Amino acid sequence: MKEGDLLEKLKNAIVEGDPHKAIEIMNECIKLGINSKEILNKAIVKGAEVAGNLYEKEEFFLADLLMTGDALNAATEILMNSLNEKSEIQSKGKILIGTAEGDVHDIGKSLVISLLQGQGYDIVDLGSDVPPEEFLRKAKEINPVIIGISGLMTMSISKMQETVNLLKNENIPSRIIVGGGILSKESCEMIGADDFAKDGWEGVKKINNLIKI
Amino acid sequence: MGHDWVGSVNRIFRTISGSKRIDKVPFLAFAGEQMICRVTGKTVRELYSSPKIYANAIIQTFEFLNADSINVPSAYAGPSEGLAFAEANNRLDVIKWFDYQTLMVKQGEICKTEEDIEKLEIPDHGKNNLWKNSLEAAKLINEKTQFPQVISLSIWSVVQELRGIEAYKDMRRDPELLLKLCERIYESQMDIYENWLEIVGMPPNVFIAGYSFNKHMMSFPDAMKYEGQFIKRMMKKINVPFMLHNCGTSPYIDEVFKEIDFIAINGSHPLDIEFWIDFKKRFPKVTIIGANIDVSRELLTGTPSDVEEKVKENILNLAPGGRYICCPVCSLPWGVPIPNILAIPRAIEKYGHYPINTLD
Repeated sequence: MKEGDLLEKLKNAIVEGDPHKAIEIMNECIKLGINSKEILNKAIVKGAEVAGNLYEKEEFFLADLLMTGDALNAATEILMNSLNEKSEIQSKGKILIGTAEGDVHDIGKSLVISLLQGQGYDIVDLGSDVPPEEFLRKAKEINPVIIGISGLMTMSISKMQETVNLLKNENIPSRIIVGGGILSKESCEMIGADDFAKDGWEGVKKINNLIKI
Repeated sequence: MGHDWVGSVNRIFRTISGSKRIDKVPFLAFAGEQMICRVTGKTVRELYSSPKIYANAIIQTFEFLNADSINVPSAYAGPSEGLAFAEANNRLDVIKWFDYQTLMVKQGEICKTEEDIEKLEIPDHGKNNLWKNSLEAAKLINEKTQFPQVISLSIWSVVQELRGIEAYKDMRRDPELLLKLCERIYESQMDIYENWLEIVGMPPNVFIAGYSFNKHMMSFPDAMKYEGQFIKRMMKKINVPFMLHNCGTSPYIDEVFKEIDFIAINGSHPLDIEFWIDFKKRFPKVTIIGANIDVSRELLTGTPSDVEEKVKENILNLAPGGRYICCPVCSLPWGVPIPNILAIPRAIEKYGHYPINTLD
C-alpha cells in the first residue's frame, strides 16, 4: 500500500474512533519507515480535525470525540515509542490543566486532554478540585504555555477568578483559558482569563489558537 | 410581615395549570446548599444534621430571597443520589464533603468496571441518613408553608456520577452495558419515589433534571435511548404532571416537547428571547420557567438595574396570557451579589402584576 493511502487509513481509523485498527495501521506505518512528522500531521492531527469538524456540524457527539481521542492516543503512543530520539517530534508546548477547587467534574477536561495529548502537547493534569495555590505551585515548576481551568458549576466561576488573580499577582506569564458550559464572555472577563471555551472541542481549538498567537 | 406562602402556592400552581386567576408573575429560585449556608451561616453538615434545622434554614433562605417556591436542595437525584449509591456499595471514599457547598461524587469511580455495574447495589433511600433527613425536611416544609413539595428525579445525571466519562464511550462500544446501568438507576429513582410517597406524600409534580437533552453531550436519539425512555416509564408509573429542567447551554427543546409530554420547561438557553416568544406560540400549554435569565450573566457580572431590565424583558414578552414563572437558571452560586438576586422580586413587583399587556 502506498504511504498516502496508509496515512489516509490511519486518519480514518482515528475519525472512526477505532483504537485497534489505529494500532494495526500505525504498526504498519512504522514498519514501512514513514516519517514520524508526516504520520503526526497527515493522519493524527488531521484525524482529530476531521472529527472536530463533524462535531461542529452535529454529526458527531461527545461519545464520538472521546472514541477519536482513544484511537488518537493509541496511535500516538506507538509513534512516540518508535522514536529513537523523542525530540524528533518537538512538543508543541506544555499545558497545565485542572478543574477548579470545589468542583469534581472532569468529562470536558478529559476530552480536552485526550485530544491535545495526541496532537503533540505535553499535558500535566492536576485532576479535579484543585486549589488556586496548587495551580500556582505547578505553574512555577513547569512553566506552561497555557493554563486551563475547567468547571461545570456556576459556583466554579468565583474559584476560577481567585485562581487567575493569584497566577497574575505572582506574574505567571502563561496564557489562561477557562472552560465550562456555564461560561460567557462576561464571566470570562470577570474571571480575567485570556479566553474561554464552552465545551471540550472548542477548548482544543482555542488552545491551538492561543498557542499560535 | 411574614411571607405569604399560601399566596405563593396559588401563584405557582395556578400559573402551571394555566389559570387566569393570578395576581402576579411568580418567582422561582434555586437556592442550593451554598445559598442556604450563605444566608443562615450554617455549614452543610449542620444543615444535614437534623430535618428540623434543615427545614428551618431552607424556609429562612427562601423567605429572605422573597421567592414563591421552596424546595429541599438535597432531595434530588444529584450528589445525594451519588452519596446513596456510594454508601450502598461501600465506596464512601469517592465522596468529597465541603463546608459551605453541596457534597460531590468523584465521577466514574463507583461504576468504573463492567463488574461494578453488574454488582451495583441499589440504595435504600429510607435508610440513607441524608435522604431520610431530606425527605423529613420536605415533609416539615409541607407542613409549615403548605407548599407541596415537588419531587425531582433524573437518570443521566446519576449515570455521569457513577460511570463518568466511560458512559459516553459505552454509547459506542457497549450500549447494552450502559442500558443496564440506566435500568439500575431507574430502579433507584423509583425507590426515591416510594420513600417520598411514604414520608412526604403524593407530590403535585415531578421535576425531571434531564441533562442528557443537550447537543453538547449526545444526539437526540441517544438522549431518548438513555434517558427519555426511562422518563416515559416514570410517567406511566407516577400519575402526576412532569416538568423538565435543563440548564444545558445547547438543549434539545422542540425535540423533547414533541416526544415527551412535559407541562413546563425550566431552562435559560437559548438566550435569545425571540426563541422563547416563539416557543410560547408553538407550545401554548407549556409553562415557561425561566426563561433567559442565566446566573452566569447579568446576575453574576451585572448590576441590580441590569437584572431588572432582564426580568422586565422576560415579563413583558412571556407573561401576557399566563404560564410564565420568572426564574434564574440554574442554582444561585456564592459569587452572585445578593442585591442582584433581590432585584428579581423587586422587578416582578414593578412589572409583573396582572393584567400585563403584550408588547405588540
